[in-house]
Formats: sequence, structure tokens, C-alpha cells
Amino acid sequence: MNDKSSNPNAIPEKVAKVMIDEIFRKNNVNPEEIKNNLSNDQKKMLKDMVEDLREQVNQFNKGEKDTTKTDE
Amino acid sequence: MGHMTKSKWRALDHCDGSSDRDDANVVQDADQVVSNQQISDEWIIIKDSQNIDVTTTDRQAAVSLQLGIEAAIAAVINISIGNGSQSDSITQGIRQMVNTRQGNRQKTIVEQSRDIEITTRDTDVAVNIQLLFQILAAIVASLDIL
Repeated sequence: MNDKSSNPNAIPEKVAKVMIDEIFRKNNVNPEEIKNNLSNDQKKMLKDMVEDLREQVNQFNKGEKDTTKTDE
Repeated sequence: MGHMTKSKWRALDHCDGSSDRDDANVVQDADQVVSNQQISDEWIIIKDSQNIDVTTTDRQAAVSLQLGIEAAIAAVINISIGNGSQSDSITQGIRQMVNTRQGNRQKTIVEQSRDIEITTRDTDVAVNIQLLFQILAAIVASLDIL
């Protein structure tokens, strides 16, 4: 699901998941319940938003690594 | 320009007088680099120098990307959980995950130099963005959106 090839994660994916699950649990949020409350349109919208950001983050990381300098 | 004692060598000395080369842009470039210090504290000071190429983290892109991801996190939480005290508390919890990673200080000073290329990387900014995105990804993953 995630492409781990290009950039190393800031924290291991599992750690992020544990932390988020913990925050949800502390606040009495049941992910199962929310899943059912979201419409397909909403899910698609959020999914598109995240994919778009993933692309931007990858672009940014690419720029970070690109050390070639052009003289104009 | 009269020197009373042997003065320090200055890269731009030869520009005084007859030279028609315009080196003002060197100074201006440096100014711009120093002025953008939104999320971290980076100083690049260039003095008495000529032909210095500076490549640094694109602060503007970093800031807008960071804001974009933060807004996305807020949107996901608002849509899925609503915007009451519960979601405030969740947002705060998430903020605490990120807040530990602020503050990058680097200073680069170039003095009396010529033809130098500087490349600085603000790794903290990159890590911050990566972390924020991972949090966003973890949230949507746990909600089965992806």
C-alpha cells in the first residue's frame, strides 16, 4: 500500500499506527463505528486528498535529495 | 579607496571603480535566504565574497506542504469524528506527537571567499513533513479509507 522505496519513514509505520490507535482509544473513538458513518463519497474524497499529498511529499523529498545545481 | 594599513583581502575589491559587473544580486540572494525562517532557524551569512551559490531547503514549499498536511489531518478528523471537544482532544494528541521535533539551528558563514557552492539540508523539516504525512496515513488507514 505504501511505497517505502524512495524515502525512509520518520518513524516506523507500526509506531505511527500504535500512537494513532492509542489516541483514538483514549478519546473513546471506535474506528469501526466511524468506518460505517463515512459515505463512499467522503471516503473517496479523503483518499484523493491523501494520495495528492503523498505525491507532494515524494516530490519534496526528491527535491531535497537532488543536489545537482544548475547554473543559469 | 586609500588604505592606511594593509587591509583585508576582499573578494569584491576588483569591482570598485571601473568594473561594470553587477554583483548586487549576490547580496540580494543571501538576504532572501536569511529572511525566511518560519519553521527553523537557519542562517547563511555571506560577507565580502563573490560568486557564492547557495542551495538550501525550499522553505516556502516546506511550509505550505506542512500546512497542507496539517489541514488534511484536521479535515479527516472533522469529517470522521465531528468537531466537538472529542476531536479537539484528538487533534491535541496528534500535535504532541509532532511537537517534539521542532527547532533546527544551523549557521553557515562565508567570509572573504570566492566561487563556493553551499548546499544545506534542513533534515528536521523533511522529517517533520514525513512524520506528519505518516500520521495522516495512519489515521486514514485505521479508518479503512485507503
